[in-house]
Amino acid sequence: MSTNYQLIENRELQESLYYYRFFPGLDLYVLPRPGYQKKYAVFSTCFGSIDNRFRVEPEQKITELPDGVAHFLEHKLFEDERGNVFDRFAALGASPNAFTAFTQTAYLFSCTANFEENLEHLLNFVQEPFFTEQTVQKEQGIIAQEIKMYEDHPHWQVFFNLLAGLYLEHPVRNDIAGTVDSIAQITPELLYRCYNTFYHPSNMALFVVGDLNPERVGHQVGTNMAGRNYQAMGEIVRIFPDEPEAVTRERTVKELIVSEPILFVGFKDNRPPGLAGRELMRREILMELLLDIIFGSSEQLYNDLYRKNLVDENFGAEYTAENTYGYTMVGGETGDPDQLYERIMEAVKSIKSEGISKEQFERHRRKILGGYIRRFNSLEFIANNFLAYRFKNADLFELPAILHEVSREEAMQLIDENLDSSKHTVSLVVPPEES
Amino acid sequence: MLQAEYTEHHLSKGVRLIFIPTVKFKTISMALFLHQELREDLAALNALLPAVLEQGSRRYPDKLTLQRELENLYGADLFADILKSGERHIPAFTLESPHDKYLGGKHGLLSDDMSVLGSVIADPLVEEEGFKKEYVEQEKNQLIKDINALLNDKGAFACERCVALMCGSEKFGTYKLGRVEDYNTISPVDLYRYYREVISANPVDIYVIGDLEERQVLQEAGETFNFFRNGSPKTLPSTEIEQPVKEVKRVEEEMQVSQAKLILGFRTYTAYSDRQYCALLVYNGILGAFPHSKLFMKVREEAGLAYYVYSRLERHKGLMVVAAGINYDDRHRAQEIIEQQLADMRERRISDEELENTKKALVSRLLSQQDSPIQLISSHLNGTIGGKIYTTEELIAGIEAVDREELAAVADKITLDTVYILRPREGDS
Repeated sequence: MSTNYQLIENRELQESLYYYRFFPGLDLYVLPRPGYQKKYAVFSTCFGSIDNRFRVEPEQKITELPDGVAHFLEHKLFEDERGNVFDRFAALGASPNAFTAFTQTAYLFSCTANFEENLEHLLNFVQEPFFTEQTVQKEQGIIAQEIKMYEDHPHWQVFFNLLAGLYLEHPVRNDIAGTVDSIAQITPELLYRCYNTFYHPSNMALFVVGDLNPERVGHQVGTNMAGRNYQAMGEIVRIFPDEPEAVTRERTVKELIVSEPILFVGFKDNRPPGLAGRELMRREILMELLLDIIFGSSEQLYNDLYRKNLVDENFGAEYTAENTYGYTMVGGETGDPDQLYERIMEAVKSIKSEGISKEQFERHRRKILGGYIRRFNSLEFIANNFLAYRFKNADLFELPAILHEVSREEAMQLIDENLDSSKHTVSLVVPPEES
Repeated sequence: MLQAEYTEHHLSKGVRLIFIPTVKFKTISMALFLHQELREDLAALNALLPAVLEQGSRRYPDKLTLQRELENLYGADLFADILKSGERHIPAFTLESPHDKYLGGKHGLLSDDMSVLGSVIADPLVEEEGFKKEYVEQEKNQLIKDINALLNDKGAFACERCVALMCGSEKFGTYKLGRVEDYNTISPVDLYRYYREVISANPVDIYVIGDLEERQVLQEAGETFNFFRNGSPKTLPSTEIEQPVKEVKRVEEEMQVSQAKLILGFRTYTAYSDRQYCALLVYNGILGAFPHSKLFMKVREEAGLAYYVYSRLERHKGLMVVAAGINYDDRHRAQEIIEQQLADMRERRISDEELENTKKALVSRLLSQQDSPIQLISSHLNGTIGGKIYTTEELIAGIEAVDREELAAVADKITLDTVYILRPREGDS
């Protein structure tokens, strides 16, 4: 039985990607990388911390989740009836891991031997949940320590305060791990309910990369899936609250032990919910160009700020666009948050009158293209990012093509929509006043 | 073939070029390391050197001009840093760009990349017999900020505190960025004089990796890195690992945090070049380097006391640090479980699975290094620092040969030196 792959060639990167969809919907991607010692596989579900209200067609009943369930489930899948999933990977010499983000949960391993056995183990443990009262309880203690670790993490705190400042209703405002109180509400039944919905193959994808034979991988995955008797499932309807256009509040300040204040300015982008995958990606690329032109290390503003000792080399800006939300964040550690804030807001205003030169745009375009090519040394980068884009119906391999298409005029048009001073918030972490 | 093949060349006395030809990567990667000893009185100078050089050169007199040149080279990434490895303190420069073949057409990036790197390191911006004053003052401020910023990462802060307490009377106790007060006295002329001294006398290692012609690499590097050299290179002292423990130091400090950090600092008395080095790697692997290790299984999976707990080696200094983030009230129980794992190691309570799984994981980690240009460079650099270049095959064979006898011999030497606890203030946790 051979897998009827679709072959996707990328000329710029000189890569060939093999793609096949198994019944009832699992997407498999295989990227051969001859000469690499390491083989890497990531098995992901499009279920992240923001998916906290849903129903499955044709049912009408809506399930609502306490914060932190996707992350909790990730932890719990690592335990099966025979004990710990790590043990088997360890016996096979693999290095396993997992992570939960806003929009996905990923399970992965890398290895240099026993690839087929490791892949089999990954497929099996993710598809065979085992949750009991007792194991759920023990995990609550471990995750409580994880939450506490992040409470002491100034950059994490400033980030989530920024999101809460931008969003009043959208669940992206909540910490991925939830709170000690919210995870106390989690039960085995709730985990099974989520599992049976979001871990259905039609909501999942597998990316495998390394010195591999696509035929063998396809055969193995097909055989594993065939034994599980999956049935087609109705569409998952994710329900998001109505989010106001405006931000929640102007400013959030938190005291934490830090050497100097951390300031971030966030701008809300209300456009993404209406955009298709490729448009979303195009918007991301344009924003990356625009932000690099305004705030990047090769431009006047950054160099002024750095010379005046107002920022360090970690100062920067980034834009994120997902299917249901989007935002820009700019900032870093600073001795004078008020002055830095003024300079950021001025810069956003003045780019509109000053415009972008052709030389600037081409130079930043080259930089982004080069950075993208360099990252293709990393198997992890390719696999993780490919699936993240895939879940928003975009294609990582299209980046060079889109980068060549976009224009200065388009970038300029985004300033009004995306860096609108009437939709901004400030998040600040400051050292505590001496008590 | 496991080991990446490389060739070694001497550009001038003490200036070595290591070229690793490979078609595997999408990039051209290069690095330059300036070896110096770690000493408290030199630490600030060493840290300041790469920071100031990176601000601009004679040809690219400011950061703006330099960054624009790098962007035009398809976003070549130049990174200057200071490394602390054993009792070596090494200003380090790396530059990586995409390889021409992914950009359609010939761009000559090897030559351009090397010329930018060479300009920054070998042809600095000089005024009045010193580095540019503005840059020196600016980078002093930045480094002082960086020293203070260690506080922002509580886990890293607690580990540094433990090592500082442990090695207070040794060279290794010197913080990577030196002390704040050391920066006050450094003038642009002092720093430039120091630069001239080390660049002409200390050992320099240059690495180039990519799908490149050896002849061209040699020629470009020879023209670019033609520093003036003073006779034979300086010999640097090796790292001292024999410091005895008279009494275990126990220190608790308080901070406004939610989570307590428990750090145990051990001396292994095993050096990188020792016959027992592979046994130490296996020891640390069984104890706490992996998710299947004893610490993770006992402290996290069985007792549920921590989200993270691990052991880590400083392989040149022969130190081992165990770290965990816990509730302060659990500190005694956590420490007891940790010490029990070390006792089990001494008493050879190691299952076949633990031994075999750890060996497999270490071998896999070694092989994976072959897939990253920077890791290929670091593993060779480590050999230079540690005074013994192991091939990947040698390390794999060494790891596979480790038995319980050798593990017990390593375990017997491991000695607790310092217990450090960072605890929340009353009412904060």
